[in-house]
Amino acid sequence: MPNINRREFLKLGLSAGSLLALGSPSDLVTKVFGKADTHTKVLILGFDGMDAHLTNIWMNQGKLPAFERLRNRGGFTPLQTSLPPQSPVAWSNFITGLNPGGHGIFDFIHRTPEYYLPTFSSTKTSDSTKTISIGNLVLPLSGGTIENMMQGRAFWQILEDHDIPATIFKMPSNFPPVETKQKTLSGMGTPDITGSLGEFNYYTTEVTELQEDLGGGEIHEVYVIGNRVEAKLPGPENAFKKNQPESSIDFKVFIDPVHPLAKIVIQDQEFILQEKEWSRWRRVRFPMIPTQSVSGICMFYLKQVRPDFKLYISPINIDPAAPAMPISTPASYAKELEKEFGPFYTKGLPADFKAMSNGILDEEEYLAQDDTILEERKAMFEYELSRFDSGLLFYYVSSTDQRQHMFWRFLDPQSPMYDPALVHKHGTAIEDIYREADNMLDMAMSKADKDTIIMVMSDHGFTPFRRTFNINSWLKENGYIRLINNRRQGQEEAFMNTDWSRTKAYSYGLNSLYINLRGREGEGIVNPGAEKEALVREIVQKLEKVADPKTGERVITKAYITQEDYLGSQKEKAPEIIVGYNRGFRTSWSAPLGRITKEVFADNMDKWSGDHCMDPAVCPGILFSSEKIRSDSPALFDLTPTILSLFGIEKPDNMVGKKIF
Amino acid sequence: MWIFNSAFGKIFDALFLPFRDMSPWVGMILVSFLTGLLMLFVFKWTSNQQGIQKVKNRIKAHLLELRLFKDSLSQSLRSQGNILRCNLKYISYSAKPMLVMILPLILIIIQLNFWFGYESLTPNESTILKIKLAEDQNPLEAQIAVQPSSGLVMETLPLRIEESQEINWRFSATQGGMQEFTVTIDGETVTKKVAVAQKPLSKISPQKPDNNFLDQVLYPVEAPIKSQVPIKTIEIQYPSKSMNLFGWEIHWIIAYFVLSIIFGFAFKGVFKVQI
Repeated sequence: MPNINRREFLKLGLSAGSLLALGSPSDLVTKVFGKADTHTKVLILGFDGMDAHLTNIWMNQGKLPAFERLRNRGGFTPLQTSLPPQSPVAWSNFITGLNPGGHGIFDFIHRTPEYYLPTFSSTKTSDSTKTISIGNLVLPLSGGTIENMMQGRAFWQILEDHDIPATIFKMPSNFPPVETKQKTLSGMGTPDITGSLGEFNYYTTEVTELQEDLGGGEIHEVYVIGNRVEAKLPGPENAFKKNQPESSIDFKVFIDPVHPLAKIVIQDQEFILQEKEWSRWRRVRFPMIPTQSVSGICMFYLKQVRPDFKLYISPINIDPAAPAMPISTPASYAKELEKEFGPFYTKGLPADFKAMSNGILDEEEYLAQDDTILEERKAMFEYELSRFDSGLLFYYVSSTDQRQHMFWRFLDPQSPMYDPALVHKHGTAIEDIYREADNMLDMAMSKADKDTIIMVMSDHGFTPFRRTFNINSWLKENGYIRLINNRRQGQEEAFMNTDWSRTKAYSYGLNSLYINLRGREGEGIVNPGAEKEALVREIVQKLEKVADPKTGERVITKAYITQEDYLGSQKEKAPEIIVGYNRGFRTSWSAPLGRITKEVFADNMDKWSGDHCMDPAVCPGILFSSEKIRSDSPALFDLTPTILSLFGIEKPDNMVGKKIF
Repeated sequence: MWIFNSAFGKIFDALFLPFRDMSPWVGMILVSFLTGLLMLFVFKWTSNQQGIQKVKNRIKAHLLELRLFKDSLSQSLRSQGNILRCNLKYISYSAKPMLVMILPLILIIIQLNFWFGYESLTPNESTILKIKLAEDQNPLEAQIAVQPSSGLVMETLPLRIEESQEINWRFSATQGGMQEFTVTIDGETVTKKVAVAQKPLSKISPQKPDNNFLDQVLYPVEAPIKSQVPIKTIEIQYPSKSMNLFGWEIHWIIAYFVLSIIFGFAFKGVFKVQI
């Protein structure tokens, strides 16, 4: 069985990206799509993770006046999220009007049944298959590929069939963007330039900060010699060289002997930062071979000059002016935005939550980064809004989701990470972002004419995340997983210590549970049919009875059997069970990648203290509309046929939703 | 040297004066056209025009031999040898005009770099002021004062780098127009101009040069720093500029050479020049 570690998994082999930097000639040509003017216009604001309960509270307190106005004009209702309520699943429901049985995205993480290895659910990458080797050089004769794994058609593709224009800004699960002539910019799922979900670099002279296995970034030990620091900025793997070595750029930092200042010299750029100051976007080019380089953009943050030197460099985003991977349709759209606004965040999850979780950035520094992202988004929204005169505009904001993940602990005195001192300082961080959302809605409402239908939606809500539950450890405790060596329990990821010949069920991802099925899994032992169904029901019953030994609370409100809940052509690929956690509980940090710890339960001691990978019933999203909502309990996939119906288009047969107006 | 630089620079100032509000391409086409003509006349007056005509005719004749006697290996080899020999002769005829042109062309390119190579600062844009001190000066001990004009704001304290004898400041522009820094050190005063929000075609001087010959050749826009001032150079980091051709960003020197060659070939018949 091939070996894989967390870092390699996160990198996902996207070195193909550097090959894609070669681009295709068609990328250089701006495509123009002939479009009809529509009388009705539809403007949709997608605020990731905006919670129905919190929205209601703050709206009733008069803190969200634009939302209140929209509710009074049309309506407001909680919006049923997806099963499971994870962003790639939920947004795929919205994009396609299908449930996961139709679009085939069941979790952030899927697995290869043959080898029991984790894979990203939404993209599949491959290197160039035809290459010529000359010495140490590997010259590709064809580009690498990145495939969007979501099945079904996106609603803007259907609109395109009917000549209705659409601009889709940062739609999650749309990387690489699905083929269309509409203007689209990829959202969540878009990697950084190394192919990972975002790898920061942190340079420090403080030895106690050094950690080897740091998810989401790398800490580099540096030395200040004669007020100078020399370091390397790692980049993407070089697919033009044998064994694909990591590319890098040398840079120097000159520190003033007295003042808290430093000058950073990288490639042909020099800039001065004061202590606790962020740079603007800086463009860096990683050389591959003499004629080829990969361009990226990053920000520098001089955290501290003395007594220890500390410099943070954000994950290197794909450069929208010269994208190393496809991030927009047409390819010129990203370049057009770059020309108008300069470099901008292209990474799917822009705020660096990993740097905050790992203590590299503190709350204030994280919020400064998040504010920059929000300002960028607001400026682009105003731009798109000003030229929106026909068809549909969908605009997505990620900060609502990321800020709730990181700052929920300040709303929840029961959180193990609740800190009264910090509550005083950052207790309104979530409320602030809801108010920002309200400002954006206000801007939209003030610019919308009478023919514009406005919808505001979120993919899911939020709940506290206080206790972790390692479902794989529970499966092991209950005899469904057997280990090769019990003494090594908890030491390995990806089920490396698992005796598959005696294992009946396992969990990969945040809510998915698979049966070790004969004929499907590499070493499956459970027979399809009656034996599998009986086992599924047995596990479901047991899971729904699990109680937290610390509080006595029920951990899982419902375990869903996918064969009963999913519809569509991809249903057979689904995990057998989707685990719906109760408020306050979520799968542990190590279970999603197949680590079986000795403890089943633990307090969640991460700053990531709010979550939504629970039971869909406990974290509904929001739906506001300028039209009266006639459906009692609308769901995400109902919005898709509704959008089509607003333009007089019949919903395709495979869509599971119903229109809500 | 400064007198020459100043006079030579004035020619370009006058040349570009009517076109400063227009796209830089207009100035580029004009200067490329004039360069093309200059190259033609230099070629005409300094090269052996008759010799070039003769050698070109011979090359044509030998090419004809190649076609006529393609069945004869020995004749083909002889013809190829003759073509090679004629080519070498052609190159030798071209060497003289090349040598004559090389120096003025370098001086022209140096001048053009300040018109086409840099972008002026935009209001609110930050950049670095870099002062390189004379060798006997220690940046940590230097008694230096920098006074910005009203349209500039210093954003940081001085950053001293001992190993390169530099002092750097970050500043930003708050108003358009030609701004300046007044630098005082050891009782001596030097000024450095800062271009903010200038016209599309403007002369931008990134560096006030040292009082040595090479620096003055390479940075001819501003008068050099006097030798008694313990400063070698004063530099402003301007953004670099490129020529936009239907969305393609190309370096100005590529545009300049391509256009000059095109104009040269286009007008060689008019002025009866053998190239």
